[in-house]
Amino acid sequence: MEVVGYAVLALATAAIGALGGLGGAVLLVPALVLTGMPASEAAPLGLLTVAAGSIAAGPRQLRERTVNHRLGVVTELSASTGAVGGALVSGFVSDEALTYVLAVVAFAAAVAGGRRGGLRNPPDPECDTGDVGERVGALAGAYPLGDGVVPYRVDRLPSGLGFMGLAGFIAGTAGASGGFIKTPATSELMHVPMKVAASTTTFTIGITSSAALVVFALQGRIDVEASALVIVGSLVGGQLGANLQSALSPTVIRRLLSALLVVVSVVLVVRA
Amino acid sequence: MTDTGSTVPRQPIPGGRVSTIRGRWQAPALTWVTRGVLALGLLTVVLPEDAAIAVATAAVAVVIAVPLVRVLWLVHRWRQEHDRRFVGVGLALLGVIAAGAALAALGVGS
Repeated sequence: MEVVGYAVLALATAAIGALGGLGGAVLLVPALVLTGMPASEAAPLGLLTVAAGSIAAGPRQLRERTVNHRLGVVTELSASTGAVGGALVSGFVSDEALTYVLAVVAFAAAVAGGRRGGLRNPPDPECDTGDVGERVGALAGAYPLGDGVVPYRVDRLPSGLGFMGLAGFIAGTAGASGGFIKTPATSELMHVPMKVAASTTTFTIGITSSAALVVFALQGRIDVEASALVIVGSLVGGQLGANLQSALSPTVIRRLLSALLVVVSVVLVVRA
Repeated sequence: MTDTGSTVPRQPIPGGRVSTIRGRWQAPALTWVTRGVLALGLLTVVLPEDAAIAVATAAVAVVIAVPLVRVLWLVHRWRQEHDRRFVGVGLALLGVIAAGAALAALGVGS
């Protein structure tokens, strides 16, 4: 497949992924493998789109003040260790085995995307806009929601770190962001509001991707020629999907995306 | 993304100082980086092959480096806030990534 074809694929998968709130890499990497690209070459391309998407989403989330950087960096210690380990291990693993891993990841993303709900943290009438922001020296904070302010603190950090390590390992081996594990773990397990969990995950998946990409770059596994246009395609597609999101039912889109991921995982297993 | 699930008990207002990090520098910088990467990516279509590969390499390098530069920037800002615990965590994170790079450079996993 030509480089322009990869870019078009990145655009389409990023748009669909953004519509479903899962990101495009979890679709792009299997799609590239199905076009005949080895899984070991597709993974770095997927991670480049994740890192680029994280950078592009940053300004809006910083303005909304929904990113908790301290929580992000703490959880990244575990996720990046997993990502670096996964990237190093993937060098020893056959493309067939990586394709199976990818099939499992696509199926897990389908399940996570289909049943996502998230916990709702209520606003506190005693909080005002002066309380908005993360706290110095602690894993806690408050974020603005409508006319109110929602305070929160992080619970069950050790369990959360375990899930982040797994998400990182998946990123390092399969090239998917692992965001479909990170956001539910942060919200459901660590009791962080969904909005903060999603924004903090978007911040952290960029770091996880970079950690694995540094390893891939030094191993000479990044196809530079294809990368630049794939990044462009994913940035444009991500923006397109985000703009279309409000016009469509999120539940329907998530279920369709889940069904598509199930089909992709089955096809990957059959092809492997 | 909206909060659509069940409700957790109201959590107390967290104590301690509110961080002064507002993203006043980060947000515009990230906007310009995104535009720059888009421009570099599109340039690869019109440039001759050698120049296109050089420009594509630059775009990839920027995409890989920016998330790590964000961590470095946070460590700097946390140091200004005298938040030693998180300065340590941030440096440990960069250390893990550097260790991974060193192992890859030594040929582990190749």
